[in-house]
Amino acid sequence: MKNKRFNLFLIAVVTLVAAWSLWPTWRDYTLSKQLNSFGSVQDSLKFALSHREEIEDARKKSLKLGLDLRGGMHLVMEVDQVDLFEQKAWNKDEKFTSIMQAVRAKSTESDARVIDLLVGAFRSDNIRLSRYFYDIRNSDQEIVGKLEKESADALNRAKEIIRNRIDQYGVAEPVITTQGSRKIIIELPGVSDENRVRNLLKGTAKLEFRLLREPEVMVRTLDRINSYLVQNSTLAKESTVTASPSVTPSTPSGAAPAPPVNKTQSVNPLYDLVGVFQNGSAYTPEHSRESLLTLLRRSDIQALLPMDTELLLAAKPDIGKTGEKLYSLYLVKKAPELTGGVITEAKATFGSQGVQPEVLMSMNTEGTGKWARITGANIGKRIAIVLDGAVYSAPVVQSKIPNGNSVINGIESLEEAKDLEIVLKAGALPAPVRITEERSVGPSLGADYIRAGVQSLGWAFLAVSLFMLLYYKKAGIAADIALVLNILIVLSVLAGFNASLSLPGIAGIVLTIGMAVDANVLIYERIREELAEGKSVATAVMQGYDRAFSSILDSHVTTLSAAFLLYTYGIGPIQGFAVTLMIGTSASLFTAIVVTREIFHILLSKNLMSDKSFG
Amino acid sequence: MRIFQKTNFNFIRNRKIAYGFSIILLLAGMVSLGVKGLNYGIDFRGGSEVVIRFEKNADVGQIRSVLDAAGVSGTLKQYGMDRSFLLSTVFQGDTGQLKSLVSNALNDRIKGNHHEIVRIDAVGPSIASDLKWSALKALIASLLAILLYVGIRFEIKFATAGVVAIFHDILTVLGLFSILGGIFTFMPLEMDQSIIAAFLTIAGYSITDTVVVYDRIRERIRGQKPSDYERIFNESMNQTLSRTIITSGTVLLSVFVLFIFAGPAIRGFAFAVFAGILIGTYSSIFVAAPLVYDWLKITKSSVRLRGSKAA
Repeated sequence: MKNKRFNLFLIAVVTLVAAWSLWPTWRDYTLSKQLNSFGSVQDSLKFALSHREEIEDARKKSLKLGLDLRGGMHLVMEVDQVDLFEQKAWNKDEKFTSIMQAVRAKSTESDARVIDLLVGAFRSDNIRLSRYFYDIRNSDQEIVGKLEKESADALNRAKEIIRNRIDQYGVAEPVITTQGSRKIIIELPGVSDENRVRNLLKGTAKLEFRLLREPEVMVRTLDRINSYLVQNSTLAKESTVTASPSVTPSTPSGAAPAPPVNKTQSVNPLYDLVGVFQNGSAYTPEHSRESLLTLLRRSDIQALLPMDTELLLAAKPDIGKTGEKLYSLYLVKKAPELTGGVITEAKATFGSQGVQPEVLMSMNTEGTGKWARITGANIGKRIAIVLDGAVYSAPVVQSKIPNGNSVINGIESLEEAKDLEIVLKAGALPAPVRITEERSVGPSLGADYIRAGVQSLGWAFLAVSLFMLLYYKKAGIAADIALVLNILIVLSVLAGFNASLSLPGIAGIVLTIGMAVDANVLIYERIREELAEGKSVATAVMQGYDRAFSSILDSHVTTLSAAFLLYTYGIGPIQGFAVTLMIGTSASLFTAIVVTREIFHILLSKNLMSDKSFG
Repeated sequence: MRIFQKTNFNFIRNRKIAYGFSIILLLAGMVSLGVKGLNYGIDFRGGSEVVIRFEKNADVGQIRSVLDAAGVSGTLKQYGMDRSFLLSTVFQGDTGQLKSLVSNALNDRIKGNHHEIVRIDAVGPSIASDLKWSALKALIASLLAILLYVGIRFEIKFATAGVVAIFHDILTVLGLFSILGGIFTFMPLEMDQSIIAAFLTIAGYSITDTVVVYDRIRERIRGQKPSDYERIFNESMNQTLSRTIITSGTVLLSVFVLFIFAGPAIRGFAFAVFAGILIGTYSSIFVAAPLVYDWLKITKSSVRLRGSKAA
């Protein structure tokens, strides 16, 4: 009897806790309904202000909806470990570059760890890692350990920087986690301007101040590339006479069609892509930009540049006389004079004329000192401000700058300036990241999903509970009560643990509705058998529960283990399904066995049960 | 109300018919898998998908030609929702570009029928292979876990037969997906993550059903002679038949509701689970237990079951 009272107490506690955990969700629902019911904006604003604390509290504790139901973005970004390892290497030569290229190609295809690919590549060429990494005395083992630590650090730093950027941009309840050795998973509910967010996240934000070479040097370099191309194309002509004359380099779909670079015989192949002004500045029109970039990436072309220099393009185009977009070309020193690490503050404003947006930056003491020295030593020369490999501006140094201030201009809109401010403040990513998975759901589809989910829940509950009632009569009522409690428990556990409910999660609950009654079916069928053997109701109920228990336990354990493994190996949406299925199955052990048994106990003690009660 | 009063089917005697039926079912699936293969969703092959919804009815052909003209390569199909279309293309890291390309083309060329891009998914190739691996790992791990648990609770013959039945169920559903894939526009039956979830659900359900039958056999077989096994197996299956059918019924009911109401994103999953439950119910009666019986008969061993005092 003591046991019985304990069970009743347990049921009461579980029910109360579930109700308590779901109460804020209910409040949130009614409050927002109230808010929407007001006729005028003023009224609802007044209500919102007077009930602010309550509204906020309810919202914070209420059951969260998943990205798919609210609308939002789910992103998986990968840290470019190949790039990271390249940064860590020194002594880089041809061999190293070619091996790393092979590693990069492999890493995009397979999901093997980059470090393993790297080790494999070097080992197959019989090169010790210490030739390029860390200390010559290190064993491969030690170097792998160091690189692994390095990449783990980089992943965490990247995560923090991305979190900073998102926080400054302002997204409510972002979820940012890492997965494995190179993935960052970002969930942004309710984001409307996906493009802006994407741009904000994917930039490395590597800011560099680099010295420009003299215009004459660039003109000479361009000439050299051009004559090299002329020579090469005639060579190619001779060797492949039969080749079709209209071969054009393949371009990614959607990009502007490439200009006919290999026109039957161009006199000046480079100058088809690049124009040079009288004053020695060069530019490329927008439609040639891609082809030029591909050309500049070729190692034989890079070898033609003066020592330690690089050709970079402007970030933003200028508008030419004919209205065409022209990107300026800059020949800059490879080694930056100063990098973005010294930036402490960034602020987006309008420039002196009040129309051009720009970003003002200030530096820490170390950077200020260096900046003063650099500017002082290079008066009259130009210094390019390079962000992620694109030149924003290249002002001429007028005088020594002693206060550590600098400006980025050449920005199109204030919005873009604001985004630059955010990424500069958050700092540079340790290595480039790229988006490998993106799922975004618009709010209207989310609303559809919610409607679909609620409908499924309603109909499934109605169908199953009605069936139980029809089939088992009075005992069916007990099973239905247990079912209601089961659903409440699932929802309250989700709300209590701040997990969110997604469409697959709802599917899990609907499935649970169908499966949770299984325990009751097992018990009731057993009781019917016992009754058929002529036992009294009380004995039949007792034995039915006892004998069905081992089946119920076995079947629940197997379902739970399948759901658990699904949770462990699945990601994102599938986990939502697995979670609700797990909670629902575990809860049904309690609701279908303990709760219904107590109901029968009470009914039996009041003589309200007969052998007809089980249908 | 009672659906099955007192049944007395001779499942064991007719088991060969069931074996034949299962083998035909499996073979048909295998042939289709070999010839036609599976329809992989972007989760497993990588790619981008855009769901576009229009305000009014729109013609697939017209939209397709507009998108073609705009240089969007890919396939456009009716999506299982009102006035909606699904565009699938190769993976594009910058979905923003894809979105604006599609949006601009449709705004320019299809006037007076406003559209909205309600969903964009893009899965890169490395993620796709990740997903494939973890799906496979989850399946294998769950089968091993089930083998282990049932092996401990019953004995290894029972466990093996149970896992064989699970294989039977999953392969049959896989075969169905291959046979029916791409035939219906309202459910393309693509293999994606949700189908893996369906497989694990089916595995869990199938073994649940099987275990209930096993449990009854265990309860009754204690101390019986091997010559009585046929009778005991048959009686146990008949006694649990009512429960088996009713539980399948309630689960099928709720999965059917999902199929009807939960929308296109869940439809493939609901179909897989529905088919899996039907087959899982069948296999627990006609495959798992008869296999154990045959195994016992061939090895001429008597059952030494663990667990359950069989009160």
